Amino acid sequence: MSEGYTILSLDEVEAVSHRGSNLIPVRHTLGFRPAGVNAWIADAGGQLIPPHEEDSGNEELYVVVRGRATFTVGEEEADAPAGTLVFLKAGVHRTSVAAEDGTIVFVAGGSAGEAFNAGGWDSFAVAEGHRQAGRLDEGRAIMAELIAEKPDYWATHYNAGCWEALAGNSDAAFEHLRRAKELDAEGHSTEYFQGDSDLDPLRDDPRFQEFLA
Amino acid sequence: MNLAHIDELDAIELEDGFVWRPVRRHFGIQAFGTNAYAPGASGRIVEEHTEQTLGHEEIYLVLRGRVRFTVDGNDHELGPGQLVFVRDPSLRRGAVALTDDAAVLAVGGKPGEAHAVSAWEYAFLATPHMRAGRYDEARRHLHEGLEAKPGSAAILYNLACTEALAGESDKALDLLNEAVAADERFREYAQTDEDFASIRDDPRFPR
Repeated sequence: MSEGYTILSLDEVEAVSHRGSNLIPVRHTLGFRPAGVNAWIADAGGQLIPPHEEDSGNEELYVVVRGRATFTVGEEEADAPAGTLVFLKAGVHRTSVAAEDGTIVFVAGGSAGEAFNAGGWDSFAVAEGHRQAGRLDEGRAIMAELIAEKPDYWATHYNAGCWEALAGNSDAAFEHLRRAKELDAEGHSTEYFQGDSDLDPLRDDPRFQEFLA
Repeated sequence: MNLAHIDELDAIELEDGFVWRPVRRHFGIQAFGTNAYAPGASGRIVEEHTEQTLGHEEIYLVLRGRVRFTVDGNDHELGPGQLVFVRDPSLRRGAVALTDDAAVLAVGGKPGEAHAVSAWEYAFLATPHMRAGRYDEARRHLHEGLEAKPGSAAILYNLACTEALAGESDKALDLLNEAVAADERFREYAQTDEDFASIRDDPRFPR
């Protein structure tokens, strides 16, 4: 195999937990850039796609690769055997649950009229997986890469702060969170500082007060 | 719910003997390129090609059956849930189905750019009509393509082929010269293209 291409088996990628589902981090693993691509795996009765809506302009195509899934979109429910494609635009609530063991749903997403710009939530989930498995160096390396890719994006610093808080490293956590607050001119982070349980390990520290002001 | 099984999508058999299922077009997806493929008469499932012109990164995911991919001269036999990600647009890639039920999903686009619908989608839609002598149907798809992608050399060239086959020599020559003016590579293609047999001796034919 050359540098120019990669072969990947979805079920050989280590799945990581994300919002009650098991994410196969395809985009993070491959470094694919034109669209957001990922997959979800679950046994019968398990949640495949975390219940959510997409932001304005986002289009998503879900593809049942293996097994069988039940999709719920708004009030509507549909049986989706392998080979089923479901296309959804922003603003509709969606989730899906596996109807057979080992079901895999692949998803591709992006915004019409815009170049794809990875938010990094999937890489963060991988870094979280490393942290939970005690592989702190590997997890921290991913957070450092995300920051290097987008040094001025507040949310990446915020996520790095969460990650260090959960890893028990409060000094590093506060450093990242301060940077996040500086960069977040529009104040998106305020509600997260108030309510995000990832930051619970820091809440009794006097230094936390500056983020609630 | 906007849902379809892959076997329910249009099945358009192309000249290389593979079947194109136009996923992007079916759903009206704008954000990225995506299509599915099945084997046709020749057993081919993914056309042998590079992405040099479009600069696309591509993922080919096997949804069903067994498929042998050839990428950069190397063979890889893949089954359901396995994919090949071709990062380098210059690498030659293609695939043949090893089982009749094989199905492959492709997702692609150019990194750092908003997705633009590819001209080849319109040419692929028109080709079966052109071959079957349904020239009005072929023209309809190609004119739709020109509206979406004004001045596209590939679409002008396919329209020139259609007009030549339909016996509209003047139109064919004008369109072919337009295609060559837009992209010089079509001059070379035209020299050996059998679709132009009826106009090749005309002094207006590009040499």
